[in-house]
Amino acid sequence: MSSSNSILNVSGLSKSFVEGTQERVVLDNLSLTLREGELVVLLGRSGSGKSTLLNLISGLDVPSAGTVQFGDTSLSTLKEEDRTLFRRKQIGFIFQSFNLIPTLTVLENVLLPIELSGTVSKAEESKAKHILDTVGLGDRMNSFPDVLSGGEQQRVAIARAIAHDPVLILADEPTGNLDFETAQTVLELLQHLIHDVNRTMLIATHDREIIELADRVFTLQRGVLKELDAENEALN
Amino acid sequence: MRSSLLWRSSVRYLFTHPLLTGLSILGVALGVAVVVGIDFANVSSERAFRLSSSLVTGTATHQIVGAGNELDDTLYAELRVEYGFRKAAPVVEGYASYGGESEGTLQVLGVDLLVESSFRSFIGGAQSSLDLGQFMGPSSVGLLSEETALSLGIELGDTLKINISGIPHEVVLLDFVRGLSDLDRQAMSNLLVVDIGTAQRLFSGAGKLSRIDLIISPEEIDQGRLSSLENWLPSNVRLQKASSRGNALDQMTKAFTLNLQALSLLALVVGMFLIYNIMTFSVVQRAPTIGRFRALGVTQKEIYGTIISESLIIGVSGTVLGLLGGVMLGNGLVNLVSQTINDLYFVLEVRELTLAPFTLLKGAILGVGMTLVASLLPAREATTAATTTVLRRSSDETRMAAALPRLIWSSLGAAVVALLLLVAPGKSLVISYLALLLVLLSFALMTPPAVTLCTRWIRPILGKMGGVVGKMAARGVETSLSRTGVAIAALMIAISSTIGVGVMVESFRGTVDQWLSYTLSADVYISPPSPVFRRNDATIIQDVERDIRALDGISGAYAVRTARVQMNDFQNDLIIVDPRPGPTESYRFKEGDITSLPERFASDNVVKISEPFSYRHDIHAGDTLQINTDNGRIPFEVAAVYFDYASDVGAVMISRNVYNRHFDDPFVSGIALVASPGTDVDNLIERVQQVVGGRQEVFIRSNRSLRQASLDVFDRTFTITQVLRLLAVLIAFVGVLSALMALQLERGKELAIMRANGLTPRQVWLYVTTQTGLMGLLAGLFAVPLGLILAYVLVFVINKRSFGWTLQMDYSPDVLLQAVVLAIIAALLAGIYPAMKMASANPVSALRED
Repeated sequence: MSSSNSILNVSGLSKSFVEGTQERVVLDNLSLTLREGELVVLLGRSGSGKSTLLNLISGLDVPSAGTVQFGDTSLSTLKEEDRTLFRRKQIGFIFQSFNLIPTLTVLENVLLPIELSGTVSKAEESKAKHILDTVGLGDRMNSFPDVLSGGEQQRVAIARAIAHDPVLILADEPTGNLDFETAQTVLELLQHLIHDVNRTMLIATHDREIIELADRVFTLQRGVLKELDAENEALN
Repeated sequence: MRSSLLWRSSVRYLFTHPLLTGLSILGVALGVAVVVGIDFANVSSERAFRLSSSLVTGTATHQIVGAGNELDDTLYAELRVEYGFRKAAPVVEGYASYGGESEGTLQVLGVDLLVESSFRSFIGGAQSSLDLGQFMGPSSVGLLSEETALSLGIELGDTLKINISGIPHEVVLLDFVRGLSDLDRQAMSNLLVVDIGTAQRLFSGAGKLSRIDLIISPEEIDQGRLSSLENWLPSNVRLQKASSRGNALDQMTKAFTLNLQALSLLALVVGMFLIYNIMTFSVVQRAPTIGRFRALGVTQKEIYGTIISESLIIGVSGTVLGLLGGVMLGNGLVNLVSQTINDLYFVLEVRELTLAPFTLLKGAILGVGMTLVASLLPAREATTAATTTVLRRSSDETRMAAALPRLIWSSLGAAVVALLLLVAPGKSLVISYLALLLVLLSFALMTPPAVTLCTRWIRPILGKMGGVVGKMAARGVETSLSRTGVAIAALMIAISSTIGVGVMVESFRGTVDQWLSYTLSADVYISPPSPVFRRNDATIIQDVERDIRALDGISGAYAVRTARVQMNDFQNDLIIVDPRPGPTESYRFKEGDITSLPERFASDNVVKISEPFSYRHDIHAGDTLQINTDNGRIPFEVAAVYFDYASDVGAVMISRNVYNRHFDDPFVSGIALVASPGTDVDNLIERVQQVVGGRQEVFIRSNRSLRQASLDVFDRTFTITQVLRLLAVLIAFVGVLSALMALQLERGKELAIMRANGLTPRQVWLYVTTQTGLMGLLAGLFAVPLGLILAYVLVFVINKRSFGWTLQMDYSPDVLLQAVVLAIIAALLAGIYPAMKMASANPVSALRED
């Protein structure tokens, strides 16, 4: 599953925010490499900077210093528009609060990233339907998000994140808003994605169940990223 | 490229908020309807005037006119025979009123059919089937279009009863004017064509002509025919271009129509605030969705395009509805506009609304354009914010709080520029209205900081009155400043415009009332009915005049006459008055040496000019005015400038003694009688009625009833202003309704949390209505100073620059109080629906994430 081909290189990454007259450093000179097909878990308390790191990797935000390199593309040097176009094609997002588009149906939500990159072919539509079948929502394709349960909404979000075959899937607390059983279902789905479909995924979480699935685990504390060597260390 | 799913999402948003979408469309529609309605009314009036003017002018290129708009017909004979100019046609024209089933005014055109064919083809065409002997015979016969006859309820051979200067006449309908084009038929709608001899009989002008029409080709002009003719003509007549008359009348109504257009634009400005508010709300409400789109790779341009496209849907839908509404409104307003023109300027009959394509285009551009302009900022807000902040609801309010100092400085900047524009010399109305717009902008920008300050003051008071709910309501206004600020500003502007226009009208009315009280110093006023109320140029039969003057029980009889004469390079009304004995003057003066005025005015070649005349032509006391008289062009010294509110066009006053020296015109248009001490005025009126008998229909009015009649006409001319004022309030109401609804609906979750924590539905009611009432109160309070500034600008700048009048600012505190109450009621009414909806909402569903 894991490959030695790196798809993401983060180097010397820093991010700080100005609050009044004070400068608050959220990320401090951190580096990270993701290899194709691996699942990396990022642990950290609330406010530790996990979401900020995901925002920087996805190009939603720009770093104060350092680089984010996808293959030959240096994300930090791209203009806002180009970063958006890059994200559109290469990155899939799974959020804690699902973030489905309330005015689009389940199928339309899944098709959205594909359609943003061009027109939707019959094959792509069939594929989206197949993914929805896979996540167990084949019968809810024409429903709007507001009638779905939290678990169902998160499954739609997962389907949306993989439908356009992104290079990297970023998940920000994907089970944070779900009950234990629903979280288990979502985790099984993620496991399936990683092992059967061979996706690269970076998950920010404090759900220890996910750690068991991880190839590598990092912690983020006071802006500093540290890789945990052993599974036990992570679990402790 | 915009994704069709993005587009679908956007359209679904509009459809899932039908009330808000509907209200925004209604706001645009009302704004466009007012602008288009006013424009249609103006265009229709102008077109009716142009059509009738061009029909009557025909193919004439030039006209010969006399000093007092009268010529001896011997000049016509000399022109043809002695000078040998053949392409000439004599004309006598005037106005006649008719009663019966419908009342109205006919333009009477007296022509010589033998020379008409090359001038007015529609009359020439009638010649073929017409009994010329009968038409040109001694009995009064005339021609009407078939449609006009139908509308008057008469047929061929029937007698048409008309009234000219209060004297009844009968004209038999001899034939119809046939073969008219559609345009001519419209223009003919109030035209009665008679033989020139008949016209002279009707208008008591035997041997007199109104003008002589000429056709002079460009080749003839090149050959010097024009200058040769000018040299040949006697000095008391003038050769002018046929088009100059129409242009002069156009100039009269220019300020009137411009002011109407400006007022109608005010409605659109209020509508713009509404759109801005709705679009801001839609962006704020969808901030999380926009954030999600951005996270999924939707670019800023695509978000921008989507918001702009949504505003286009609203703008286009509102504009289409507005154009339809404008046609309906125009139908109603055209009567008000033409009535005002008839009261103040000239006789005009508008039979149908002209649906000018340019007006429709203007309405469409304004409606769609202003919607787009109002949406630019919200669209930009949605896209320029960083994606991570778009995901946070509070970011808008944080930005608003940070922007407060900038808003204050921008507001002060706008105020300074407005002030500079207002004090800048010049007469430009466009600049004045631009300054007015900047004043509005300045107050609108100052609204959010002022709301912040006021809610902090009011919060403890509401806390004492309504407990924690009262405090929350006040705090809620401040914490949602990005939306409440705009809603309060929109309501403030609408309410201030009602104060501004209301105080302006009240000040104007007060000034006119005061002016009437010192100018109407006689006891009884007699005048024949005149087609235009403010221009009394009908004449009293000389025998009647003599008998009235001979009545017992009067200490003075002072006649007045209005004549239109050529002066300098324009035509204007000359008011001829009998000089009063003694040193007192019934007018008040702005310029001139008053001490020697009565003496000089009675005997010297001096005139007094009204303030609007002085302003319009930039002529002042001490200047010289060249007046074309029957004795040729005579210089008159302007001895004084007097305050006058009878005409915005202005008038020149001359003493009867002096007038008689230069004009062959013994007629009078009205007589004012001063009762001797001990004479009963009612008895005097009865005796005047007996003396006049059935010889002429005249108005015999006491001082009080003339004053009332004048004020009634004043009120009538401001009806359209009041209608526009009400429409602006209506639009503001729609704006406030949508803004408050948007605000309260957006707070669904917040209120649901409060409900979950024990807030009862009644308390929700109290919360929402306290908040909307507070917003209304603030809008009303802010509207008072803004309204007074608007009134000040309207009274002392716009009125001055439009008409040259000096008005006294005069208003009652009631107007201000009413405005504040109106604002609170509008806000409370607008809050009813959201309050009901929120109170009855299920907190469980509102607490769901999406």
